[in-house]
Amino acid sequence: MKAITLKNVKKEYPGCSVPAVDNLSLEVAEGEILTLLGPSGCGKTTTLRLIAGFERPDQGSIALAGRIVTGPGRWIPPEKRKVGMVFQDYALLPHLTVGENIALGLKKETRGRKVMEMTALVNLQGLENRYPHELSGGQQQRVALARALAHNPVVVLLDEPFSNLDTDLRNYMRREVAKIIKAAGTTAVFVTHDLKDALAVSDRVAVIKDGRLEQVGSPVDIYRHPETEFVATFVGKSTILDGVIGPDGLSVKTAIGTIPCAHTHNHRPGRQVKVSIRPDSFELDPAGDIWGTIKETIYGGNEIEAVLEARTTNGPVDLQVHIHPEEYIREGTELRFHVLPEFVAVIDL
Amino acid sequence: MPEKEIACAENRIAFYWQAALENPSRFRLYIWRGNPPGFIPEALALVTALVMFIPILYVLVRGIQGGWDRWLTLLDTRIPHLLWNTLSLTVVVSLAALLIGVAAAWLVTRTDLPARKIWAWLLALPLVVPPYVGAISYIIVFGPQGLVRNLAGETPFDIYSFGGVAAVLTLFTYPYVFLITSAALKRFNLNYEEAGRMAGLNHLQVFRKITLPLLRPAMGAGVLLVSLYTLSDFGLVSMLRYTTFTTAIYFQMGSFDRLSAAVLSVVLILITLVILWLEYRTRGRQKFVQDAGTFRKPLPFSLGRWRLAGLLGLGTVVAAALALPLSVLAYWSYYGIARGALDGRFLEYTSHSLLTAGAAAFFCAVLALPLVYLKSRHPSPVSSFYEKLAMAGYALPGVIIALGMVFIFNSYIPALYGTAVVLVMAYTIRFLPQAMQAEGASLNQVSPRLDEAGRSLGYPPWQVISRIILPLIRPGILAGMALVFVSAVKELPATLLLRPPGMDTLAVRIWIEASEGFYDMAAPASLLIIIVSAIPLKWLINRF
Repeated sequence: MKAITLKNVKKEYPGCSVPAVDNLSLEVAEGEILTLLGPSGCGKTTTLRLIAGFERPDQGSIALAGRIVTGPGRWIPPEKRKVGMVFQDYALLPHLTVGENIALGLKKETRGRKVMEMTALVNLQGLENRYPHELSGGQQQRVALARALAHNPVVVLLDEPFSNLDTDLRNYMRREVAKIIKAAGTTAVFVTHDLKDALAVSDRVAVIKDGRLEQVGSPVDIYRHPETEFVATFVGKSTILDGVIGPDGLSVKTAIGTIPCAHTHNHRPGRQVKVSIRPDSFELDPAGDIWGTIKETIYGGNEIEAVLEARTTNGPVDLQVHIHPEEYIREGTELRFHVLPEFVAVIDL
Repeated sequence: MPEKEIACAENRIAFYWQAALENPSRFRLYIWRGNPPGFIPEALALVTALVMFIPILYVLVRGIQGGWDRWLTLLDTRIPHLLWNTLSLTVVVSLAALLIGVAAAWLVTRTDLPARKIWAWLLALPLVVPPYVGAISYIIVFGPQGLVRNLAGETPFDIYSFGGVAAVLTLFTYPYVFLITSAALKRFNLNYEEAGRMAGLNHLQVFRKITLPLLRPAMGAGVLLVSLYTLSDFGLVSMLRYTTFTTAIYFQMGSFDRLSAAVLSVVLILITLVILWLEYRTRGRQKFVQDAGTFRKPLPFSLGRWRLAGLLGLGTVVAAALALPLSVLAYWSYYGIARGALDGRFLEYTSHSLLTAGAAAFFCAVLALPLVYLKSRHPSPVSSFYEKLAMAGYALPGVIIALGMVFIFNSYIPALYGTAVVLVMAYTIRFLPQAMQAEGASLNQVSPRLDEAGRSLGYPPWQVISRIILPLIRPGILAGMALVFVSAVKELPATLLLRPPGMDTLAVRIWIEASEGFYDMAAPASLLIIIVSAIPLKWLINRF
């Protein structure tokens, strides 16, 4: 049984020409961590709020653990859905202590035991009597998570959980939160616009654009084998080129030459396609076929992001490349590359 | 999600129309922006809003039905004179209050005047002196039988003149402008002024071209409060024997010519609407949004040899608006108490005041809740409409609400007419908006995410309200109750018209004793009202 099933869910806001969520269907398996990834305003938070029951869909149905919570003629209010929610600003009640926040809505008999269990799970023992404002951002987030998990929810929803944390804490909390959720054995849905959040915490990532599902897959899938141009360019950087599937079915003929490609969707040779090449696919090679001049560089410490203006028979083509930081590169440097097949993907036209 | 909603705001009205025509069954969902409230809060808010609005509506209907003859007679005889009296007083008091308020605000926030914090307090304090109490102190000093005449043999000016009325009214209303303007000056983003200096403007040009225009919304809000107060004031003008619409309506009712009173009320309501509209028009076109920027303390402007003049000016205002009334009332209270003013009857008046005001404060606090809850948690054209209905009593003078209550209770509920119920209800209608503002401000500080957190933890909406919202907005509820309580204790015209026979309150006694010249009897009650008014001072000042 799936923990969450969304079927053809549609949500429009009055006066908007474009629906916030457009005919979205999605399944989340029990115990899975799924992330809804997309730019701001793409409908990912609305999707989360539809699952939680803070918004009503115009069409479609949502089921939690096999029970339909919203659908034609059916509406279960949020308090009866057994959904835990971790808000972007944590939404801890300022007039209650950590323990009281976690105990909210719990039955008297189980309260004490549950609070102890939860503070142990999120590693906050001894802070039960503090008030939220006396905690750091990371600790507040743990309290919010503990409060959501205390009810043994069918699913925990996390809305941009890391956006209020600074970089170091953010890296740490990504691991921590994923670990806690896995330890609790709960299903979780994250919402984020940050690629690194999504790739780090998720079992699967669902990329959303304008309320529509673009692609669902494991982080590796999404990064290596984007299926649409939007996924290719939103999930990391990519160069998109027109091409034709080569006769062997494992290469694509493009303006910069024939490129080996591990992921061609089994298209038949000769078909017109677009191909996405990740910057990591271009490897410096004095004997490579691709050559050109560096147009822009951004020194990133662990790598150099650069734009290479490649010379081709049809004129210059800009390529996004990554270069090892030990190289001494500046604008105007002439370089040669070849392409590794791992990070090349054919995109459906 | 929110960005998307804002981006869509433009074609919303067209969308509602279309939705209503195409699919009437979903209309309710649409006009609530997809988020309709529960039945109970909506019913409570709707009933409250209607009850708040009906008396005013009734006055309007009766006034319009008053008949051509009555309208023509009044238009011919009384209305031109009343219009002139009322409008000239409103304009003069507003301008004078603006001048004093802005100058004082600038002096205490931006210059190197000594003890600016203390000055700021002293300049705000006259807000706790009810204008009619202030008027009594001025009659005691400058009246025909006043102190000055007794000492000097003649009065320097006639307190019962237009100038006297305007001056005294200004002294007790300028704090509105002062408080709003100094709050705006404290928030002022100095980068704008510095940009002006960079562009080569001198101090005076910066003040004229940058500071003053950016303070325009604050000054407008202050002047609006002053002019609405002037239109609604009854106590001060009646003490100083000046005739405006409010006193005319009051005396018309006293002579049981209620229809003429209704006709005059319609004109007064129209004037109020015109003023609200004027303020809205002038403000609407120039919307200033100041980025908060990073807060910096402004470098105080060095007054140089003008320092003495500044101190003298502020000193005069504080002396006239605070020191004079307080010392005069203290002296006469001492004199009155020595002659037995604090007798059993005084206690009786006090208890009447406290009981009626306390009941009004309680009802306002309770009835405001559903309205502010809907406005904050279910924002939509419907909740705004309910709010506007309930706020109608705010801008209107107490005499008009009293007239509406007289009409309704006389015609439909005569059993309750002449009981304290009518009085408490009039207070509630008049002062509910104060509770709504205090509670609304408090509720808006509570993130709706907290409600949602409560829902996801298993609380149904009513438990979210009782366990999460109410504990968090308790300070706002108390502030609203205090504001209503004080306003009701001070209220004069509706109390005079609606009190049950024999149930005098402090305010009524002050008015009656002072009208008959027994200042020693009026003074202790006046002082008590000032002390009570000082209770919510912190909230009063923070409101601006």
